[in-house]
Amino acid sequence: MPIKPLTVAIASGKGGTGKSCVAASLMVSVPGLMAVDADVEEPNLSILLGAEPYASSLVETLWPVIDSDKCDRCGECVRACRFGALYMFGKAFPTPNDLCHGCGVCSMVCPGDAISETGRPVGEIRLCRAGGMTLFEGRLNVGMPNPIPVIKATLDAALAEGRDMVIDCPPGTSCPMVAAVREADMVVLVTEPTPFGIADLDLALQVVTDLKKPSVIVVNRADLGDSDIDALAGKYGTRVEVRLPFSRAVAESYARGKPPASVDYQWKEAMIAIWETAKKAAGR
Amino acid sequence: MKTKEVTIVSGKGGTGKTSITAALAALSPLGIVLCDADVDAPDLEILLHPEPEGEFPFMGMLTAGVDTDRCTGCGKCEDVCRFGAIKVTGGKARVDKNFCEGCSACALVCPVKCIAMEDTRQGTWFRGMTEHGPMVHARLNPGGENSGMLVQLVRKVAKEIAESSGAGMILTDGPPGIACPAISAITGADAALIVTEPTMSGRHDMLRIADLCRRFGTSAAVVLNKADLSSEGSRKIEEACRENGLPFLASIPFILDVVHAVSQARIPSKELTTHLEPIWRYLQGM
Repeated sequence: MPIKPLTVAIASGKGGTGKSCVAASLMVSVPGLMAVDADVEEPNLSILLGAEPYASSLVETLWPVIDSDKCDRCGECVRACRFGALYMFGKAFPTPNDLCHGCGVCSMVCPGDAISETGRPVGEIRLCRAGGMTLFEGRLNVGMPNPIPVIKATLDAALAEGRDMVIDCPPGTSCPMVAAVREADMVVLVTEPTPFGIADLDLALQVVTDLKKPSVIVVNRADLGDSDIDALAGKYGTRVEVRLPFSRAVAESYARGKPPASVDYQWKEAMIAIWETAKKAAGR
Repeated sequence: MKTKEVTIVSGKGGTGKTSITAALAALSPLGIVLCDADVDAPDLEILLHPEPEGEFPFMGMLTAGVDTDRCTGCGKCEDVCRFGAIKVTGGKARVDKNFCEGCSACALVCPVKCIAMEDTRQGTWFRGMTEHGPMVHARLNPGGENSGMLVQLVRKVAKEIAESSGAGMILTDGPPGIACPAISAITGADAALIVTEPTMSGRHDMLRIADLCRRFGTSAAVVLNKADLSSEGSRKIEEACRENGLPFLASIPFILDVVHAVSQARIPSKELTTHLEPIWRYLQGM
């Protein structure tokens, strides 16, 4: 019987704690993994993996098209839209704007059947390669407000491959982060031992606990602060898996776009340990 | 005098937005109002210790609620929902509030009218007073929706306070990223300060947020933080600023004492004073 593929999400709450460093380091330390960059607003994993795109596909959402022959400008669609995404200036035809969520309500309520929908690009999925590694990179178009369709489409495309994979998630604790960790078997939360790190880790742990996901914590730059992360972890029934000290060599290699595990053996060992823990969490 | 609003953004997280916002506040020669618009990781209060003056619920969009007694489990709502937020399980429709965007398609299509759009609390916003001026901040519920609306709300309140108190400037600590909360944080601001770092990721993300500012008509300038962690990276940031017509305001080294100050929940103002002077000159010249 084939083994179910293992999916591990790297998340954080606070930005800049080292999510992409952990994701890229897992890729270069554990053979055979596939990567997904679900931080579609600022996708950086391809930089750290030195991965080049070789194919891409558009992500589209539906967008209303008003047939001026059929529209009698009754304003029903404008009143029904809860996002303020359709406007009628005076007696002009309704026009959609960027607040559109592509829900389809306007076409549902139109009494004259004057609204159809068409696909509108909001981002893309780039298929990238580096050596033997594959990366699915989601990339939101600049100016588009909603990253969720791009996150979902990228994850769906990657999950269809049926391979073990690492998901680099967006920072924060709101809907984009939830969408990115939703399919994971285990969540790795990367933090730093400062009051900022601990405050945002607390919020991220609330989300992960809510979603009933097993988790472990990586404390990065562990010597640059003394916040009690063990106590917080204990409160949520999770634990610190590894502590990595601040290292100028790691910071400098990151600046040049190289993952920490390629220059620091401690990182490499830590990544192998995290993957073993994930396998156990998934009953493998 | 018209109040000016400056939003501190970065694209990439963790470049030092909050530390720099707090230090700018402490060194401000003007009366200021502070606004934390990073509503899903709000950390400015950790450094500024506001004395609480009020706490208010944030309701966000209405979301779908099912009267399960009347639901027949027909599944029409599930078919019409484009966000995967409503599913029939055990013969009844159930809403996943994490994914409901509040469009009301399900309520419109329900043949027995058992779905109503209901108030959902999505977070909390606060007013407070700090040593350096009044502060408005907020916290989205973990996993919550509508962060853009909450960002607009805290900015609006900050503006009202600034106008009624005659403060010359609002300093808004923005969110990372480039989507709805970032758009809500920069739209209509007088200037955006982009805090970046001398890494390839920092440069990539700086260019995306700068592009966003241009599209929304907000003038942007760059502050390079932790500059000495890579001289090559720093050079590339300055080069990218020149190529893209972005004013390069200041280069701040990696200062261990800044990290220590933040660890003690203290504003790193002493540590950053000399480095922030050019930023103040730029802001006052606006």
